[in-house]
Amino acid sequence: MALLEVSDLSVQYGRVTALEKVSLTVRDGEIVTVLGANGAGKSTLLKAILGAVPARGGGVTFDGADITARPTHERIARGLSLAPEGRRILISLSIEENLLLGAHMRRDAAAVHREMDAIYARFPNLAERRHMLASCLSGGEQQMLAIGRAMMAKPRLLLLDEPSLGLSPLFVQKLFELIRELNAGGLAILLVEQNTGKALGVAHHATVLELGRVVMAGEPAALAADPRLREAYLGDGG
Amino acid sequence: MLTQQIINGLMLGAIYMLVAVAFTLAIGVLNFLNFSLPGLFMVGGMATYGFIRIGWPWFFAIGGALFLAALVSLLVERLAYRRGEGAEADVPLVSSLGFLVLLENLMLVQYGSDQQAFPALLPDMNLRVGGLVIGIAQIISLAISVILVAWLSWFLKRTNAGRRIRTVAENRETAQLLGVNIRRLVPQLFVASALLAAVGGVLFAVNYQQVSPWMGEGPGFKGVAAMIIGGMGSIWGSVIGGLLIGFAEVLSITFIGADVVNITVYGLLLLILIVRPQGLLGKPPAREKL
Ligand SMILES: Nc1ncnc2c1ncn2[C@@H]1O[C@H](COP(=O)(O)OP(=O)(O)O)[C@@H](O)[C@H]1O
Ligand SMILES: [Mg+2]
Repeated sequence: MALLEVSDLSVQYGRVTALEKVSLTVRDGEIVTVLGANGAGKSTLLKAILGAVPARGGGVTFDGADITARPTHERIARGLSLAPEGRRILISLSIEENLLLGAHMRRDAAAVHREMDAIYARFPNLAERRHMLASCLSGGEQQMLAIGRAMMAKPRLLLLDEPSLGLSPLFVQKLFELIRELNAGGLAILLVEQNTGKALGVAHHATVLELGRVVMAGEPAALAADPRLREAYLGDGG
Repeated sequence: MLTQQIINGLMLGAIYMLVAVAFTLAIGVLNFLNFSLPGLFMVGGMATYGFIRIGWPWFFAIGGALFLAALVSLLVERLAYRRGEGAEADVPLVSSLGFLVLLENLMLVQYGSDQQAFPALLPDMNLRVGGLVIGIAQIISLAISVILVAWLSWFLKRTNAGRRIRTVAENRETAQLLGVNIRRLVPQLFVASALLAAVGGVLFAVNYQQVSPWMGEGPGFKGVAAMIIGGMGSIWGSVIGGLLIGFAEVLSITFIGADVVNITVYGLLLLILIVRPQGLLGKPPAREKL
């Protein structure tokens, strides 16, 4: 069943068209990856799905409900959650406070703490320093914190915006293991990446954006074999 | 004698502290130097006076004055802050200063420009400890101020709403991506800072038993000075700054004379600005707020 249905979504910043009639579907339990060069509109797509930038046209349906006009906090409450580009860790808050921030709308305090413990169990580095300011973390650890924070909202669909950006190969490895594990637990993931090879490796479905439009979509294996994509994006990531 | 003055300074400092915290909340989270706050301080005192004069019991009068200050603050949010968003940073600042002048003149029209005697709400009882005389009003004011600020600090540190506020303070865009409802949060902050200032005004009136349309200016500007001395955006900085200015004022009145109060207070400000421009608890590079 389609969990997220983006149909003919358009977004403009002033006169700049960032998205033009983009359509995309994420089914329950699926990893869908969105690829594209810098400025293709990938982050804009995630922000529009989350309601952080307004849609100019088209619509977004989540879990059967039309959420096109709903505010961000309501979409998060319905089960969408974003680990944003550049991680956006709050450096004046402690690691634990960053995690709790992810659950700021939830009222089930006991479950929130159970899930926080599960995140700590997965990332001992975070657990050890839970009361320290988040600014003390390395880039890779900050990415784990950003994903942990997004998980604290208890999403049904996790939006990841270039999580591997700037990470060491070891952390990239860990990151994609984590993505697989989370997905194996039933979580649907919409993954924006520039690491095309790795992203195609975990995804069930892929979409390529160029200047705000969908230029290719399909099975990862088929895309990986497509000469246009190989030429444009697989030069380094393969 | 000195201990007595320290107690008086503590009391006055507690009032400055409330004003300073009100300012620091607005500037730390909203990046807005809200000059209507001295006006809301005055509304706290003057409206309580006005409601008592028309026969309201004192607790209703205080409640009414606080309610009025909150309402006016929502107007400031709508008309000065929200409209000025996206404009030059000093547009909302100047409009909020306009609100101060407007409020003062509305009170002037209603009650005249003279000092009005504020009725004694609390029994004129004093606690005598050793040689010290501590008024009941002083103790209650101090307790209310300290409890309010301590509670606010706990709230910001320990609750979801507090973390939301600190997130907005650090980065508004991130806050939005995490689902913080900024449209609802901003008016709530305006009400909170208005209430802090107005409670300060009520306590001032109760302690010094006089009110006037201009009563907000002195404590208002000393509150700003206290905030800067403590470090803008830091609640505990404002607490320290408020108490310091309270002491400086009372001690210089006692030992040097009333004429030099402003020299002492603003001299202290100047000194801090030279020695430690970010204020006592301010941390400029880390951008840590609240
Ligand atoms: N806040 C903004 N204001 C104006 N233009 C923007 C803004 N954010 C993105 N853009 C523009 O929209 C286009 C898509 O940007 P973005 O979604 O960030 O692309 P990507 O994430 O694929 O690199 C780019 O041309 C970018 O310059
Ligand atoms: Mg991007």
